[in-house]
Amino acid sequence: MIGNGSVRLLSKNFDVPNMATLDVAMKHGAYDMLKRAMKLKPEEVTELVKASGLRGHGGAGFSAGTKWGFVPKDKFPRYVCVNGDESEPGTCKDRLIIERDPHLMLEGALICAYAVQAERIYIYIRGEYYYPAKVMAEAIKQAQAKGFIGQKILGSDWSCTVHLQNGAGAYICGEETGLIESLEGKKGWPRLKPPFYPAAIGLWGAPTIVNNVETLAFVPRILDIGPEKFAAMGSPKNGGTGLFSLSGHVNKPGVYELPMGTLLTDLIHKHGGGIPNGKKLKAVIPGGSSSHILTADECENLPLDFESVAARGSMLGSAAVMVIDETVSIPQLMHWMVRFYAHESCGQCTPCREGTDWLLRLSKKFLEGTARKRDIDDMWQLADNIDGKTICALGQAVAWPTKSYLVKFRHEFEALCRN
Amino acid sequence: MPWLEIDGKPVEVPANLNLIEAARLLNVEIPHYCYHAGLTVVGSCRMCQVEVEIGGRKSIAIACNTKAADGMKVTTKSETVQKLRRSILEFYLQHHPLDCPICDDAGECDLQNYYMEHGLHDSRMPLEEKKHKHKVVEVGPHVVLDSERCVLCSRCVRFCREITGTDELGIFGHGRDAELLNAPGRKLDNDYSGCVVDLCPVGALTDKDFRFRRRVWYMKRTASICTGCSRGCNIFVDWETDRRYKDPVRRIQRLKPRYNEQVNEWWMCDQGRHGYSLVDSPDRLTVPKTNAQGNGHTPTVDEVIARATAKIEAAIEKHGASSIAVLASAASSHEDLFALRKLFVETLKVQNLDCTFSFEMKGKEDEILMRADLTPNRRGALELGIKPWGGEGQGGDDLLNAAVEGEFDVVIVVRHDLSSLLSERVLTKLRKNSGYILYLGTHHNGFAELADDVLPLAMWAERDGSYTNFQGRVQKTNHVFDPKGFALFEWEIWKKFGANFGVELSESSCFDLFNSIGRSVEAFSALTWDSLGAKGAMLNGVPEPPHRRIQTSRPLAAY
Ligand SMILES: Cc1cc2nc3c(=O)[nH]c(=O)nc-3n(C[C@H](O)[C@H](O)[C@H](O)COP(=O)(O)O)c2cc1C
Ligand code: SF4
Ligand code: SF4
Ligand code: SF4
Repeated sequence: MIGNGSVRLLSKNFDVPNMATLDVAMKHGAYDMLKRAMKLKPEEVTELVKASGLRGHGGAGFSAGTKWGFVPKDKFPRYVCVNGDESEPGTCKDRLIIERDPHLMLEGALICAYAVQAERIYIYIRGEYYYPAKVMAEAIKQAQAKGFIGQKILGSDWSCTVHLQNGAGAYICGEETGLIESLEGKKGWPRLKPPFYPAAIGLWGAPTIVNNVETLAFVPRILDIGPEKFAAMGSPKNGGTGLFSLSGHVNKPGVYELPMGTLLTDLIHKHGGGIPNGKKLKAVIPGGSSSHILTADECENLPLDFESVAARGSMLGSAAVMVIDETVSIPQLMHWMVRFYAHESCGQCTPCREGTDWLLRLSKKFLEGTARKRDIDDMWQLADNIDGKTICALGQAVAWPTKSYLVKFRHEFEALCRN
Repeated sequence: MPWLEIDGKPVEVPANLNLIEAARLLNVEIPHYCYHAGLTVVGSCRMCQVEVEIGGRKSIAIACNTKAADGMKVTTKSETVQKLRRSILEFYLQHHPLDCPICDDAGECDLQNYYMEHGLHDSRMPLEEKKHKHKVVEVGPHVVLDSERCVLCSRCVRFCREITGTDELGIFGHGRDAELLNAPGRKLDNDYSGCVVDLCPVGALTDKDFRFRRRVWYMKRTASICTGCSRGCNIFVDWETDRRYKDPVRRIQRLKPRYNEQVNEWWMCDQGRHGYSLVDSPDRLTVPKTNAQGNGHTPTVDEVIARATAKIEAAIEKHGASSIAVLASAASSHEDLFALRKLFVETLKVQNLDCTFSFEMKGKEDEILMRADLTPNRRGALELGIKPWGGEGQGGDDLLNAAVEGEFDVVIVVRHDLSSLLSERVLTKLRKNSGYILYLGTHHNGFAELADDVLPLAMWAERDGSYTNFQGRVQKTNHVFDPKGFALFEWEIWKKFGANFGVELSESSCFDLFNSIGRSVEAFSALTWDSLGAKGAMLNGVPEPPHRRIQTSRPLAAY
């Protein structure tokens, strides 16, 4: 559901019946922007996206246009991978895009492929998203039949095919190099960086742009309204809008499209309808389960854009905002969170493989009433021993929230200790 | 070539070198598990983290995946680095079964060593919470896995992918359930499977043959080469003779490959690795033997030599030197062949002499190490002037046929067990047609039963000796322990014969013999025993082969 009060830029046509069928979509302008983009030189498209301030909505918030510019000049073939693995707890926006307006995302991916002169697009959708994958498969078929995908697209010299791949239910295959390994038919073990930065050495060693579903879905809109207008919609360095997945203790959970830089309190109270049953706000997880928790005080006056949330010591991540009221036990929350990461660690590198497992055992002690005070410090220490010492960012994804829970809500952990 | 500073010491290193290798140049050991110079870098163990400062910015980096760069300042000994190492070791040890007292790797285990050097922390892990995994898994005919000891460094997996290309091993499951196991339905049965034991930094993979045999600290180590084929892989002989608690006759406990970038890099084949068992086999010939006189009489060496001398003299007198055939061996060292040539070719003018037989060219050959030519010294024999009988190819086969047809009165056979090569019928014919057969061998076999007289030979671990491998590299075996029983060096036997025929062989060691070869044979003229060193040296005029990095299959992460 796209929530009330949303700004309708990306989600403009989400409520149009049968938007997933090409005829309907084309009535609403689908693939017009591809045509417009293909009248420009590929580099000009990249420049446009750069100027729009479009940031990656998959988690890291990296400038999309800048990433496209990293493709080495004379290395071919090139690929585009659409990251639809959406597994970060709390995040549920990509699914909506795929189900409601798959052609928008396809068009965005094609424009990206044109901008980097890629010959193939891989759309990687998480295994559990069976229905969205079906919708996407149908959309691809129709677009192919109309000649938006395939040989000599729109009479140009550029050809590009699209392939859909279902994941098998691993969070780590959302990490871009894990995704690439998985696409290559291997176990989803993230690659070592350097040298495996996908834009230079990606799928089968070829330059590969990996972008989130939402990131790419914004691209046609940028061409439509122009980069200046898009940039102006958001806050400094954060162009346009974003889809915020609001969940937890709010009256109206859902996905909200709002300008980047919207105040967190506005999202919770104005759009989300506040906390149910007159309960007090305890904390907010602003950017998916991997982000540092914010106390109620820290939520005041916080614009939801990448820089502002980072300045507050957390991250906007995938913009999955989870609202936590006073009834929630933070140690319990932490156990839930750690369990997820311990289960999803790929097991490749030592600090993450061993550390998440250890954290899990310690966090359980607080629920079983066997914890001791030194366990709090041990957990912080363990998290610190993982933090930044791993191959991929899953290490941070568990270390950051853990540390923040322990520091900001230490009293709750202490209350559960035996001594 | 970049200049950098490691622990305050400046050093210039070749371009593209990573920090582990750069530090090695300064004798600084950066601890690591997953990194191995012969395999691709995966950066997963995180043990090699160091502090790196470049352009005034300090950061933590894994040394294996950081190239040495100009102006870099690397710190491997700070409190920060020490703490990092301790934290990684703690991660490794949380589920470790702590079975060091019964682990074959104890004493040479990187988990133990690094714990003593960098860890020494108290365990925060309650014993009863330790996870259990598979133990005593026979992953292949030669290798046993203890999964609980495994640190998941993936070296063995990468070896089977990158070096042998056979992919028998993999890491299955994810997170803490990740476990090294056989690929479904596959056994670790490639020709180099023992190498995974060498690669394993801990006691997870052990050699079936070595399990529970010796504590490693009791063993002594001698450098040598494998004589199993014409590659001549460089090896270490690990041996121990004082504690004979398991197998009283076994002196060699195991062989390990010794790094030589020109020959075998870090590897050796399973056949070579287990070839040592012949040395301590109960079937060794340890005393001279005669079949001519009645049962029960064991002759002395001198008796046998005296009788053989008489037979040779008589044959020459009657029919000339052409009535004598010598089936020599390319498994003999230069020194043996030098003495043999002096006696038979130069002094007795025997022409019927060869050491090239087709049955020795039937080994398995691959692009890793193994060679079809199963002799260690064919090239050396040629250089010493032992040319194929009849001019070319495998003249030895023709020489043998001629012997079977009865063309010679005296047939001298060195090392070859003809009883296992010839059919019963042909063997009987050879016996019937030859007036006198002398056999110099290492083991009891059918031919030792059939020959008139037999002299026992020392084997490669019992003697010094030099050999030229197929590349033209001269390398040496070293004396590890004394020959069994009354076994003799081959050159020693020819020297004794020579005395009967007036041949001056003043040399009394391989050292002397080799240096004499250097003085008289052009191909060896630049070499002395000492110049061979640990890694050997090329024949005169043969260029060093390029240093190759053995890799037969594409690594999983390489483009
Ligand atoms: C453990 C982990 C899981 C991730 N999962 C996802 C995911 O499910 N979807 C996604 O778009 N990006 C995910 N990412 C981020 C991707 O690695 C990558 O940064 C992103 O796809 C780039 O696209 P963007 O620049 O459009 O955001 C994940 C990253 C990590 C470290
Ligand atoms: S940090 Fe975790 S998920 Fe990422 S590579 Fe290492 S073990 Fe795998
Ligand atoms: S068995 Fe040994 S070599 Fe293989 S992954 Fe485990 S520790 Fe590494
Ligand atoms: S390849 Fe040849 S020399 Fe090397 S170990 Fe095997 S048998 Fe010995």
